[in-house]
Amino acid sequence: MVKKDVEKLLKKVQKPARYTGGELNSVVKDKNNVKLRYAFCFPDNYEIGMSHLGMKILYSLVNAREDAWCERVFAPWEDMEALMRENDVKLYALESGDALSEFDLVGFTLQYELSYTNVLNMLDLSGIPVLKKDRTNLAPIVIAGGPCVCNPEPMVDFIDIFLPGEGEDVTNELIDLLIEHKEKGSTRLEFLREAAKIEGVYVPEFYNVYYNEDGTIKSVENIETAPQRVKKRIVSDLDKAHYPKDFVVPLIDVVQDRTVGEVFRGCIRGCRFCQAGFIYRPIREKSPETINEQCRSISDATGYDEISLCSLSTSDYTNIEKLIPMLFDWALKENINVSLPSLRVDNFSDELMEELKKVRRSGLTFAPEAGTQRLRDAINKNVTEEEVLRTALKAFDGGWTSVKLYFMMGLPTETLDDIKGICDLAQKVVDTFYRNPNKPKGKGVQVSVSCASFVPKPFTPFQWEPQDTADMLIEKQKVLLSSTTSKKIVISYHQSDTSVLEGVLARGDRRLGEVIYKAWQKGCKFDSWDEFFDFSKWTEAFNECNLTTEFYANRRREYDEILPWDIMDYGIRKEFLVDENKKAHESVTTPHCRIKCSACGANKLNGGKCDARN
Amino acid sequence: MPEIKKWAMEVRMSFEKTGMAKFISHLDTVRCITRAMKRANVPVWFTEGFNPHAFLTFAMPLSLGFESLCETVDFRLLEEVDLNELAERLDKALPVDITVKEIYVYETLPNDIRWAEYKIVFNNPDELLLERANSVLSSDEIIVLKKSKKGRNKVEKEVNIKEHIKSFELTEDNGKLVLNTVLSSGPSININPMLLIGALVKDTETDEQDVDIIKVQSFTENMEIFK
Repeated sequence: MVKKDVEKLLKKVQKPARYTGGELNSVVKDKNNVKLRYAFCFPDNYEIGMSHLGMKILYSLVNAREDAWCERVFAPWEDMEALMRENDVKLYALESGDALSEFDLVGFTLQYELSYTNVLNMLDLSGIPVLKKDRTNLAPIVIAGGPCVCNPEPMVDFIDIFLPGEGEDVTNELIDLLIEHKEKGSTRLEFLREAAKIEGVYVPEFYNVYYNEDGTIKSVENIETAPQRVKKRIVSDLDKAHYPKDFVVPLIDVVQDRTVGEVFRGCIRGCRFCQAGFIYRPIREKSPETINEQCRSISDATGYDEISLCSLSTSDYTNIEKLIPMLFDWALKENINVSLPSLRVDNFSDELMEELKKVRRSGLTFAPEAGTQRLRDAINKNVTEEEVLRTALKAFDGGWTSVKLYFMMGLPTETLDDIKGICDLAQKVVDTFYRNPNKPKGKGVQVSVSCASFVPKPFTPFQWEPQDTADMLIEKQKVLLSSTTSKKIVISYHQSDTSVLEGVLARGDRRLGEVIYKAWQKGCKFDSWDEFFDFSKWTEAFNECNLTTEFYANRRREYDEILPWDIMDYGIRKEFLVDENKKAHESVTTPHCRIKCSACGANKLNGGKCDARN
Repeated sequence: MPEIKKWAMEVRMSFEKTGMAKFISHLDTVRCITRAMKRANVPVWFTEGFNPHAFLTFAMPLSLGFESLCETVDFRLLEEVDLNELAERLDKALPVDITVKEIYVYETLPNDIRWAEYKIVFNNPDELLLERANSVLSSDEIIVLKKSKKGRNKVEKEVNIKEHIKSFELTEDNGKLVLNTVLSSGPSININPMLLIGALVKDTETDEQDVDIIKVQSFTENMEIFK
């Protein structure tokens, strides 16, 4: 519900429906009938934020309670922000149109490091003091969740409470506690003391961090009621976990605008570069019946004509061959398409291949990640060249003519031979197409090579590794471009400066809060958008704080160094990560979790259970 | 060859698009109505091509920011259904600010539209506006800059829109200035009211964006209400 002063502004901005609310299935309650108001904030624009499954789950979870009302907030685009500041309009939640400062809980999801400045900007636009120390009342309490919370240290100056892990259970517990303390009239500190006692709640002001002369961490002291380490929360049984019966249906085109069926959490693969592969462990699968029913309900309630199955690697779902026919049985009759991202086509049965041909096919994507077998072994991407080519052949037989190949550069132990190997592999895919007698007639092939820059992340075996400098990456990009002359191969890669900043923030410590604050004051926001990203402002901010990006990004950390994220317990044992790191340097692979359990430790979070081993 | 499904009825839905729905663009409106049909289980006819989609024909796309009391969309139904009940069902499946008026078997075609009536409300007119508007609307020619395309290039050319103004009436209402006017509309020539508004507020202090525009009615050549 948009207020009159906002409506006037909407006539002057692009895509005004970003700011109107009123979408189908959005939840409007009477604010006088609830005890707690929760503003769920996504620190990016509407189109990105509305595509995010986690927000849909928590929105629905909180609104299922009678005593609480959850609303959505997104970062306004710069045209809207300028008008809001000019006309003194505060950032508001879409359902009520009320300013964020009227809420009890203001929650951000930290999905990627380059959205951090938007968190500051959104708080500022709301009239909520950006710095935690300037907020003295009980409400609003500013909380944050999402994958980046596995190392929340760079953001501790701005956030009161972090919720590592999955938000379902802990959100409800925190809401109960805040309602209780609101009614008691507690102070902020009294509330935080009790909150810190809940498992999976990290209250950063209850930790003091001391540094060595060289800038590394000397020790961490927990005070008040805070535990020494904060264990991430997980949902034990996905069949019983809350899942929305409907989605809010956006009025404008957003990035992911479809029914999403979550299939399982965690990943069995153990690719050493992949943070998601470790921080979402242990594996928990949903039954095909539950997934089917949930997809059915959301499709009915939204009118979406597409269902997408969501997980880190959908073909590793043990019941995929049962689930697909169940979905197809009703979806295809109703002109609903089923798309299966993160699929490895190679291990599919012929029956399933036939089933898949019934639906509109999306592009075909492989992620070999590295150009040579040696490097693929080092990063534990257990895919051989033969497998890639065999799958490509199967796909070309099935009528596909364009293939996307995902790679990374800047991986630990990488040499220029590995970079050249990327083009060699792409060329072999092209050759496979032309050698295939069954290739589609009259069509050429296109192989798109997309090369991301590797960023070492916490809780991966590469968390100690130095990241390539921007100069090294640019050099490698040049080699990559000069390694192919084929017009059938199109190469694209990322801007290297953004990778550097991402790496710094990912493995940063508390001292970066000042840098982020200064960068935001200089105008940094929407850093993940090329048109906004301004690395020179960040460089200034680092200089003013007497910190360097090299210290955080390009330095090899010792195994025994205290890492900023050691406060967090994600179930993964450090000894396991050390072993994996050593094996990487010897190019020794680790079999995936179904072949052999590597005792990463994450199953302890779920009472010893892990669906990789059933 | 797959079997081509035959439709049983061809119908038109008239609807209002008001309030916040004015911020839904034409393309987004199309998608919004398609989804509402799915939610309401409307047995709508799909195209038979490689990419089947609900076959919808809108009379005239409505500009972003305009409200309308007279939108229509034509579609085909695979079976005979009670149209009143269908209208009710579809209305419930649409966002609040899109309201179904009626679903009926139509006799006219969108091509029959020749004129449209707009209600234009200047929320904050400057004191010169009434006089200025009167004199502009009463003059023999009203020259505006119209954007068009010449090949691939975007060009602006001067056009006289006087002949495209069928009628006008200016009234004052609580400090607001209200213009009711009938302008050329339809597939061959369509005058966007923003062009006229631009000509009226020129040389005054009135903010041309602080204006509410409501499309009230569409007419055929003979000024019969398009239905």
